[in-house]
Amino acid sequence: MNKMMWIAWREFCTTVFTKGFLLGVVMMPLMLVVVGGAVVWMKNFSGPRIQGTVAVIDQSGQVAPRLEERFSPDFEKKEAEELAARVQEEIKKSEAAQAAMALGGPQAQEQTKAAMEQATKAGPEISLVVLPRDADVEKEKEPVKNASIKRASEDGSKEEGENRLALIVVPPGAVRMEGGKFEQYQAFFAQRLDGEVQQKIQRRVSDSIVDARLETDERLAQAGLSPREVRELIARPWAEAKTLTPGGEKKALGELTMLIPMAFMILLMMSVMTSGSALLTTTVEEKSTRVIEVLLSAVSPMQLMTGKILGQMGVGILILVVYAGMGVGSVAYFLNRLDLVSGASLAYLGVFFLIAYFLFASMMAAIGSAVNDMREAQTLMTPVMMVMMIPWMIWFVIQRAPNSTVAVVLSFVPVTNPFVMVIRLSGSEPVPTWQIPVAIGVGLLSVVGAAWAAAKIFRIGALMYGKPPNFATLVRWVRMA
Amino acid sequence: MPPAIELRRVRKTFGTKVAVDDFDLTIEPGTLVGFIGPNGAGKTTTIRMIMSIIFADSGDIHVLGKTSAVESKDRIGYLPEERGLYKKMKVGAFLTYIARLKGMDATGLDRKVRGWLERAGLGDCVKKKCEELSKGMQQKVQFIASVIHEPELLILDEPFSGLDPVNRKLLREMIHEQHAMGRTIIFSTHAMFEAEQLCQRVLMVNRGAKVLDDTLQDIWRKYDPKAVVVEPLTDAPDLLAPAMREIAGVHEAVVTRNAVELRLTDGADSARVMAEAARMTTVRRMELKRPNLEDIFINLVGGSAEAIRAELADLNGAAAAQEASA
Repeated sequence: MNKMMWIAWREFCTTVFTKGFLLGVVMMPLMLVVVGGAVVWMKNFSGPRIQGTVAVIDQSGQVAPRLEERFSPDFEKKEAEELAARVQEEIKKSEAAQAAMALGGPQAQEQTKAAMEQATKAGPEISLVVLPRDADVEKEKEPVKNASIKRASEDGSKEEGENRLALIVVPPGAVRMEGGKFEQYQAFFAQRLDGEVQQKIQRRVSDSIVDARLETDERLAQAGLSPREVRELIARPWAEAKTLTPGGEKKALGELTMLIPMAFMILLMMSVMTSGSALLTTTVEEKSTRVIEVLLSAVSPMQLMTGKILGQMGVGILILVVYAGMGVGSVAYFLNRLDLVSGASLAYLGVFFLIAYFLFASMMAAIGSAVNDMREAQTLMTPVMMVMMIPWMIWFVIQRAPNSTVAVVLSFVPVTNPFVMVIRLSGSEPVPTWQIPVAIGVGLLSVVGAAWAAAKIFRIGALMYGKPPNFATLVRWVRMA
Repeated sequence: MPPAIELRRVRKTFGTKVAVDDFDLTIEPGTLVGFIGPNGAGKTTTIRMIMSIIFADSGDIHVLGKTSAVESKDRIGYLPEERGLYKKMKVGAFLTYIARLKGMDATGLDRKVRGWLERAGLGDCVKKKCEELSKGMQQKVQFIASVIHEPELLILDEPFSGLDPVNRKLLREMIHEQHAMGRTIIFSTHAMFEAEQLCQRVLMVNRGAKVLDDTLQDIWRKYDPKAVVVEPLTDAPDLLAPAMREIAGVHEAVVTRNAVELRLTDGADSARVMAEAARMTTVRRMELKRPNLEDIFINLVGGSAEAIRAELADLNGAAAAQEASA
């Protein structure tokens, strides 16, 4: 027993106290934070501003003035200010964002302010050109065809001549109802014009048209309603959703709840895979450097294998605890929603980690002992990895319908069983109670079977050199001993 | 005291190949036994079975009075033929680890590891990684790993292969020290002169079967070729041969490169023959010929003697070449 612990301890130390492992475990979450931060930061850089004109042929005669107003620099400033105010308001309301700001200190606040200024400033520089009512549409399309998506030069100097990015044609019927319906306006855009810019132009046009409609309709005047009142009446109401929990009301998180089962599965997969493949590497190393024979003169093959498996289990648990701790910590700190991760689901994660780990580790120990080098191991690894990948491929299906036939069946199939169960148990839909002990039972049985076979393969394989074995050979070894 | 090692009708096959066939062996405590035979003779297989690393198909094995080496692993030191170290592990840490696996206490272990490394001329290697050592140095580290826990029984599989003459001598001395401390030592080699230099008792195997098992003294007596070698100082050996042939008790005088080999009849008095021969010429060297293990081995194996002689010549040549390059 003591010897086994020594083997386990060495196994743990040689895996954990390496630059590669420490970098991997520490760097991974750090990278996530950096990449996540970078994406948010880069969104502030919308690139140099697009410069050009939007031409409008307003056949109704009602829309152009309103459109001119919307394209005026004053309007843009006002819009930006409103946006900034709304963002500030949101930040004040949201504890999470405040926490993040507090965490970042004055620097973060400064950055946010700068980013906001950037956002309000960086809109496309588009001016409106109002063409005569009777302008020839076909002829006016020509400049749009030849438009180039130019960026404003750094010094702000303007290009000579008009760069027409869009042509808008508003027929009279768009404002005044004819035969019970409105006519549509037409919009022509230059090639490769950014989708967001197109939407912005369209939004302004349609807002202007609605304004024109409201102001020209006599029925409103008769009813004593101002266009502003009508707009307020038809504005779509929106409520901030709350989730009711025994602990009180919480802000609804929608998609985030969906991500939790996935996070659990990734956690399980990552810890099992990392420690399992480390086990394979060390076993192959011991085999190929022939240290294994020295070890076997001191301990029995069974002690060696068990010690190694236990040592790497420590590695897996370390990864699991570090990442799960970080995950739970950030859910608790930033979202204040610790209720999303129940103690039971964490306990099940632990149980199924052990099942998945012992299963995978047994296979890795068997493969590692049977081959002469890493390359040979890859050949035997391929089918194992393919089976392991099944939960990856169908996690979405299982998470969407945790009690579907596929999910239930895969819960009782060895190898996929711990992963599928973790997805199901950490989701929101309850799993029938009887399935949990059955799944754990299936898992334990598969672990016992795999460990038994691995022990037999390990005993023979550890001292077998030469021709790399295939699966048939492994099966024969299992039967032999 | 029970025998250190006892094998009864042990048999091991790999597929259709019989590696060890009906092997009987008893090794008394405190003896130093050479286990010799050509490559593929079954030496390593026998040793691995003694170590319970692989298991015999049939027969009984007793090690240190137990039915299996598993029960007395901590009392056995083993240097395997296929040896290795953890490349990235430090030498001191490796030895400590192995010692712990052999059931040693932590107390004084560091000092012991250092002491052994000093003894082997590796005093400055404690903190070095195993992969930084030369092959010969690694082999010495492996030897230390097999003796560090002060085992009663030491099993060394080809301990000398790949070592230069200086390190061979050092290793021989260390093995002698272990023997002087009363430990039972069994070492295998395919280079028979190593066994002649080192051991009390010789165990010879070929093709999985024991062909000889005796003390070196008895072997020399039993396989006494009954011949006197006379190397004259100035006279030509071929001119002396006819006269010497006439000495009483000599039945043949064979001329070798620069000596005459006088083969004696049964019951001849070798001292008298030597005195007679000395009167005939001034001698540079005269000796009672000693059998060497190689000749005995070839003699015993018989039939395919020529093939084996060639094989041995190859092996010795290879060993010499290895030494030269080391």
